[in-house]
Amino acid sequence: MTAPAGEGPLLELDRISISFGGLRAVDDLSFRVAQGEIKGLIGPNGAGKTTVFNMITGVYRPDVGAVRFAGEPITGQAPHLIARRGIMRTFQTIRLFTGMTVLENVLAGQHLRTRQSWWQSLLGTPGQRREEAELVERTLDTLKRLELSEVAHEVATSLPYGMQRRVELARTLVASPRLLILDEPAAGLNDRESAALNDTITSIRDGGVTILLVEHDMNVVMNVTDSIVVINFGKKIAEGGPAEIQRDPAVIEAYLGQDDEENAA
Amino acid sequence: MIAPRRPAWARVARVLGPAFWLLGLLVPLLLSGSWISILAIFAIYAMVALSQDIVLGRAGMYDMGHAVYFGVGAYATAILNTQLGWPIFATWPIAILVAALVGVVLSAPIVKLRGDYLLVATIGFNIIFVLALGNNVGNVTGGPDGIFGIGVPHLFGWALSSQGALFYLDWLALAAVLLLMRNLERSRVGRVFRYLKEDELAATTLGVDARYYKILAFAIGAGVAGAAGTLFAVQLASVSPGSFVFTESVTLFAIVLVGGQASIPGVLLGTALMFVVPQVFRGLAQYRYFAFGIAMIVVMVLRPQGIWPRGRAR
Repeated sequence: MTAPAGEGPLLELDRISISFGGLRAVDDLSFRVAQGEIKGLIGPNGAGKTTVFNMITGVYRPDVGAVRFAGEPITGQAPHLIARRGIMRTFQTIRLFTGMTVLENVLAGQHLRTRQSWWQSLLGTPGQRREEAELVERTLDTLKRLELSEVAHEVATSLPYGMQRRVELARTLVASPRLLILDEPAAGLNDRESAALNDTITSIRDGGVTILLVEHDMNVVMNVTDSIVVINFGKKIAEGGPAEIQRDPAVIEAYLGQDDEENAA
Repeated sequence: MIAPRRPAWARVARVLGPAFWLLGLLVPLLLSGSWISILAIFAIYAMVALSQDIVLGRAGMYDMGHAVYFGVGAYATAILNTQLGWPIFATWPIAILVAALVGVVLSAPIVKLRGDYLLVATIGFNIIFVLALGNNVGNVTGGPDGIFGIGVPHLFGWALSSQGALFYLDWLALAAVLLLMRNLERSRVGRVFRYLKEDELAATTLGVDARYYKILAFAIGAGVAGAAGTLFAVQLASVSPGSFVFTESVTLFAIVLVGGQASIPGVLLGTALMFVVPQVFRGLAQYRYFAFGIAMIVVMVLRPQGIWPRGRAR
């Protein structure tokens, strides 16, 4: 199945389950993400994909099972502690800071690299000001990379949808994550934007970041992922390379079993 | 460094701040005694309103018990000065520290509460605080009458006893708080407060320890309110529970919303509306709550961001 090079997997889900009010949202799910790969997590609507992400990032705690990152257990740790280990995520429904500029939004991704203490913040010491200038500079570099320089001082939530997605992505990238979790990064993008997204995702991986993504846009999923996990009703029904997954009878069954306009691509 | 495009009015506002403060320095030279004390009180309440804004307008927590921290500072100075004979300036750092500490202790168990629940909890703190003062807890607060005979501050053997001297002290303290607010806007701590206000989940997934920063917001806000409390005790030469009741907290809360959250000019304007305008129309003073009540309704309906909303960018 998974045949990555190197030592152990970067991320490992070991038989995790979670229920909400008697409903099993994720059921005995296991998979691994190898260092440097782009892994896709797909499944029909309501299959539990976002719930899986929430369990990895500490928003939910699995009822049973373990999540391991770089060999260490992180199951149920607080989200900010998980972020500290180098796991960053975007959201299915974009979550930018309302009323703040693109620059201010993306600066948030630098939080963990910032060294100034609270009293330096209050006093505006020379060292603190120097650090602020450095943070801004580094943030502007990332904005340039994602073609957002022009809008750096615009209010982020007033931008077109596709740009807002890039701002959210930029916010995670300035943090230099080890694992990047993307929740439907192509949702709401037009064809041109989603094609550009393919290149962006591949180049992020080439920069040494491991990626786990949920996506409905098959154009993105089939073109950029190294391997795919398919879940339905919270259970894994298939895992393998993109070509293999496309031919898998269980996967075809799961997708044909419901009308799904998102698969038109 | 960075050059955000800034609307013309925002550039004007940048010059307006220092100009406003410098103009204030002329107050004791040009105005009569009662005006000097009115504007001294304005400076003190402006500090408290700005400190409320740190917690409410910036960090986004519905703190409706902020008069507690103001009162803790005032009583700390009153008790240390009248009962232990400490000089006023020696009581000041203690007032700030004790108020900040009370802010930490009271906020720690409640910062995880959602906005409306937190609001009710802070009202509870305020009610208990005033009850404790009135019941002379520990035999140091003087009961319902409070504490009288607070001394004047001495600086290098010179007594700051005139109204003008006290005004300058208050005005300098206000400048310090304004600088602190400006620094906050250009720092990690100030940004994190806003991240938490706008989207706590997104902030935590970027590594923000929400609990730590929320308690920090209370600590800083309470410390600044405590500093203002010392000046208030000195200005009135007395303290009593009536100055720190729940309705005072409501007023501070409303000043921030009516003036403009996270907007320094907005909060100053709100403070002036509440504490200076009623003095101008002396005959109408008893209607100040009525007028402010109307203003609250009108502003919230027509201009929910406040009279002078925060400019975008920094």
